[in-house]
Amino acid sequence: MKKKILVIDDDLNVSDYLASLFQDKGYQVSVAGNVKEGIKLAKAQHPDLITLDIEMPGEWGPRFYRQLSQEPDLKNIPVIVISGLSGHQYAVVKAVASLSKPFDREELLKIVEEILN
Amino acid sequence: MAKQVLLIDRDKAHAEALTLYLHRKLYDAVISTSNEQTLLFLDTHALDIIIAYPFATPETGQYLLAFKKTNPLVQIIITAPKSDLDEAMDLFGLNALDYLELPVNSKALDLALARAGAQTGLLTRMDLYTGRLEDLHYARNLFNQLFEEVPCYISVQDRNLRITAANRRFKRDFGGLVGGFCYEVYKHRSSPCRECPVAATFSDGKSHTTEEIVTSKDGKQYNVLTQTAPIRNGDGEIAQVMEMSTNITQIRQLQDHLVSLGLMLGSMSHGVKGMLTALDGGIYQLEAGLDQKDDKRMNLAFGQIKNMADKIKKMVLEILYYAKSRELQYETIEVAEMTDNVVATLTPLAQKHGIKFLVSIAPDLGTIEVDPQWMEATLINFLENAVDACLFDRNKKNHQVSFTVEKKSRTDICFTIQDNGIGMDAETRNKMFSLFFTSKGSQGTGLGLFIAHRVIKYHGGTVHVDSRPGDGSQFTISIPFQKPENARIMEPPAKDKG
Repeated sequence: MKKKILVIDDDLNVSDYLASLFQDKGYQVSVAGNVKEGIKLAKAQHPDLITLDIEMPGEWGPRFYRQLSQEPDLKNIPVIVISGLSGHQYAVVKAVASLSKPFDREELLKIVEEILN
Repeated sequence: MAKQVLLIDRDKAHAEALTLYLHRKLYDAVISTSNEQTLLFLDTHALDIIIAYPFATPETGQYLLAFKKTNPLVQIIITAPKSDLDEAMDLFGLNALDYLELPVNSKALDLALARAGAQTGLLTRMDLYTGRLEDLHYARNLFNQLFEEVPCYISVQDRNLRITAANRRFKRDFGGLVGGFCYEVYKHRSSPCRECPVAATFSDGKSHTTEEIVTSKDGKQYNVLTQTAPIRNGDGEIAQVMEMSTNITQIRQLQDHLVSLGLMLGSMSHGVKGMLTALDGGIYQLEAGLDQKDDKRMNLAFGQIKNMADKIKKMVLEILYYAKSRELQYETIEVAEMTDNVVATLTPLAQKHGIKFLVSIAPDLGTIEVDPQWMEATLINFLENAVDACLFDRNKKNHQVSFTVEKKSRTDICFTIQDNGIGMDAETRNKMFSLFFTSKGSQGTGLGLFIAHRVIKYHGGTVHVDSRPGDGSQFTISIPFQKPENARIMEPPAKDKG
């Protein structure tokens, strides 16, 4: 069965890019443009991995992470932070990885592969 | 030190006898019996007293009178035979201290010498006092000049915080109200400030430093750094307190500007990182499309790359405009030429997003005197924002942007830009022209409308905004056909107040 990845980013150009990248590697991808939608999709689909932007207009990535940690069946889903915000690596300390925009494509794919396989 | 006496006499024997007598009385005396000797001694000796027969030579009297004029401290005692005394008195008058008849009576000479000593002492002291008075006058002038011209505000206040003295700069900016209360004059308040450095100095005798915001007589606000110092009376009590304030408004403005710049760099670096990631995405899609020989994917990727390149270009240009300082370069151009350029730029953008672009340009608008580069960029900026406002609006199916150009009056042209996009709430409307304000998240720099607004103001024009959330917005821009008299330089802005 295909592994599922949930991409949360307000920038459509970035989420499209991530979705194509993961789909081309054979993953099943869903995209959320904000925190509320992200929680809804996570609950509905139980993804194997989540990529999370930290700063979105009116949204704050770490809040999503706190909400996720409070759900017993979601709290163990690994989260990769992908953000343009400086200091993002300190925002979600429990993230399995923290990448800066613009990220290195190969590095991201390697991390994803390590986590999912 | 012995007093120096010059004896001028025709009779050398008499002079020598007198000299012996003077030596016994501890005076240092020299004798002159000729014009030559007299002139030499007057010139070279630091004389205190001259005892002279004024007719020793025909010129003696004139020499002595001329000498007395320039050396008023030297006392002259005239000796003459009785027959000459009247004439000597006529000649010397008050220039001689005493007139003694020859042969000289020793007691009369003693008295005359004593009087000469007393007179010299008196004159020396007076000379000293005069000198000190002159010094005092000079010091007072210097102090006054310092007080008046020092490049800061100085006021002196009594215990009730009444201003008893103020320097020129203080009076210039806050009015000449000596006798007014500090808090009234400086802060336009009716009661003392809670933390008053002057009151603190009255209470502990120490100097206090505070930063205050004060209001000038014209209502301008200044940031000032204030220092106080006690002024004590003869008994050592604090009678008054001096308050000295330095205007640091420009420094504070610069700090605000730097803070804004820091904020802008932070928000822009976030935006730029997002754009670069999206550019990477486009390149990836293009690579994948090429690998799979998928034309559709390649076309989409190319569009995405082009879009990102445009956005990055726009952002960089805005930053460059922001940093640029140049005089507006006025040219007289056809209004039609300028509006054609604007319409040509906007048409493809509107088409791409399926937005109807309605253009209405009145005929025969003639020429206008503007900086075409800035003015076109400004109109394009408003129109691009109108397109963005439509793109942000998900509630309507059909969107349109209209651009109307017409004569408002004989002197002004009017550009109207209207959209049926997302519209603005009151807060956005109020802040829309502020530096670094953006409603577009990481997609905006907060520079576009700020610059556009400045360009309009510097051209002597105005912008009227009419907008409601959900209904869209209308911008009405009026620009005079002729260059305004007070044409301005486009500067990198400090903080926008307008």
